[in-house]
Amino acid sequence: MATEEKKQEILEKLKNAVIQYDEDASKEAAEEALKEGLEANDAIFNGLVSGMEEVGRLFEAQEYFVPELLMCADALYVGLDILKPHVSQLDLGVKGSVVIGTVEGDVHDIGKNIVKMMFDVAGFEVYDLGKDVPLDKFIEEQIKTDSDLVCLSAMMTTTMVGMKKVIDDLKAKNPDIKIMIGGAPVSQDIAEKWGADGYSADANNALKDAINMISSLKKMKDEAEQNKA
Amino acid sequence: MTEQTMTSRDRVLKLFAKEDIDRPPCFSGMGNVTAEGLKKFGYKFAAVHSDAKMMADSAASSYKLFGFECAVVPFDLCVEAEALGCDINVYSHLEDILYPTIKTKLVNTEDEMDISIPSDLASRGRIPMMKEVIGLLKDDVGSEVAIGAHVLGPFTLAGQVMELNTLLKLSFKKPDKIGKLLDMLADALIVIAKEYEDAGADYITVREMGATSDVLSPRVFKNLILPYLKKIFAALSKNSVIHICGKTNDIAGFMVESGADAISVDQKNDVVETRKKIGNDALLFGNYDPYNVLVSGTTDQVRETMKGCMDSGVNAVWPGCDIWPTVPPENFHAMMDEVKKYRR
Ligand code: B12
Repeated sequence: MATEEKKQEILEKLKNAVIQYDEDASKEAAEEALKEGLEANDAIFNGLVSGMEEVGRLFEAQEYFVPELLMCADALYVGLDILKPHVSQLDLGVKGSVVIGTVEGDVHDIGKNIVKMMFDVAGFEVYDLGKDVPLDKFIEEQIKTDSDLVCLSAMMTTTMVGMKKVIDDLKAKNPDIKIMIGGAPVSQDIAEKWGADGYSADANNALKDAINMISSLKKMKDEAEQNKA
Repeated sequence: MTEQTMTSRDRVLKLFAKEDIDRPPCFSGMGNVTAEGLKKFGYKFAAVHSDAKMMADSAASSYKLFGFECAVVPFDLCVEAEALGCDINVYSHLEDILYPTIKTKLVNTEDEMDISIPSDLASRGRIPMMKEVIGLLKDDVGSEVAIGAHVLGPFTLAGQVMELNTLLKLSFKKPDKIGKLLDMLADALIVIAKEYEDAGADYITVREMGATSDVLSPRVFKNLILPYLKKIFAALSKNSVIHICGKTNDIAGFMVESGADAISVDQKNDVVETRKKIGNDALLFGNYDPYNVLVSGTTDQVRETMKGCMDSGVNAVWPGCDIWPTVPPENFHAMMDEVKKYRR
């Protein structure tokens, strides 16, 4: 077992590897973490993810831009791939799966990819449909994967209206499904009007909301089962 | 000269020549077809991108219906990529107004970057049709309004022909490699823009929104993008505009440095600040929100916004992006009226 000091040192290495978008350093630090017997959960959340949080802050502060963000994500994925097989159960309190994509007619996917990354990081099972996704595809994929959450992104006011159609169809098929929407023209107001369960202006908050939504969904399901029993 | 004696065309050309004009013109360098205009001809949006007459009719309709002071083509951002070999989707199976997109990219990974410009570029894809459209517009409204055409900037075009995540990361990791690609794309864009100039376009707008500070740092803009923009503007012979939307305050100076005759920014730009930075001599076009004001605002909001733009010192009242087709006619009229009655 590593000493507390050694442990902190490795966590710091993981964190910095992400911030400095250094894939090699991320690999090394992740391997060292396993060798020294660190909990994989600990290494992911207090190392890699805490690095990504700092990256998010640098992005907000306009010190980092989209290319930096993508490179940090690559470094994070390198570490994550090494650590993930050693994770017993991710420490979110929930285990979720999410279908995500940019709606038909819209090829803006930079923002969607950032949101997707946050879900990956948090240990969600992510089904990324990409961009310019035919509206029916969201419904098909949700049914196929039995996902708890569907995330829709749109960057244009014309394509945004497609989201309403997807929401209506999904809710008609399965009223319990949670839907989250986002993208520059979308607002809290619109999300409420169209019956989406969540909206967020940025990726960090999207993740927090998603976790809350899914845990309340799980609770509802559990209660329903108990009542049956 | 007075409103009666000065045509919209004179006003715009004199503006570029930095001669005296009665008021700022109200025009654009980007698409401005409206649903109203399409309705007049019974055209479907998906059909106007690939038919010369339909595109020309639609492009002239905002002048004819509302007095908008230009006619601009094309309406989509795929012409250059298509000529370079990409397939496009115009969504003809759908009734909604959807803008054409690129279906397949030429370059997906770093080792596929060895592409070259076809020697017959000017006769590929829709380029010949675009020249025909510009000719038709010249004949139809060319004595009354200035005819504009737009091309993408090299970085934004790179994003159309190449997997975007790869492009963005390599811009940082291997700027030399991306520089080579941008240089080649700049050459292609020069060929295309010159075709448009020869066909009779009065001004060319280069749209480099992929390099907005929402995505790319001002430092990368200066080192990696600016040199190729300079190359393009040095090669153009008529009037030119550089357009970038989103955050642009930190790069406005570089935009002027690019050598374009005018810079165009959107509503996210603080134009009072920008004016301080670039001085009174540089032409600054902008900067109303074409959707949240022109489409969904009230006529009063439209008037207020246009007045605000002029008060803050833009040289032309000009949208932050394409005019959104669903603009209500009363808003379009209110915009024109507010600009026409403005006196400094
Ligand atoms: C880059 C860009 C492009 C690139 C897109 C490349 C790509 N693969 O993404 C290209 C050049 C291809 C392009 C094309 C077009 N574009 Co464009 N583009 C932009 C630009 C400059 C930046 C967008 C961006 O990536 N921002 C950075 C990211 C990080 O931010 P974000 O997307 O907002 O994402 C964040 C949040 O919104 C949120 N979020 C996003 N998705 C989701 C989803 C969920 C579930 C949640 C919770 C949160 C969330 O989290 C993200 C991270 O913080 C914007 C202007 C601007 N500066 O915003 C115009 C803009 C979006 N484009 C616009 C237009 C009009 C077009 C075209 C129609 C132009 C034309 N004539 O063809 C075409 C569209 C083609 C099509 N059919 O899709 C307009 C849309 C106007 C409107 N209100 O509808 C804009 C706003 C420009 C403007 N000033 O008007 N564009």
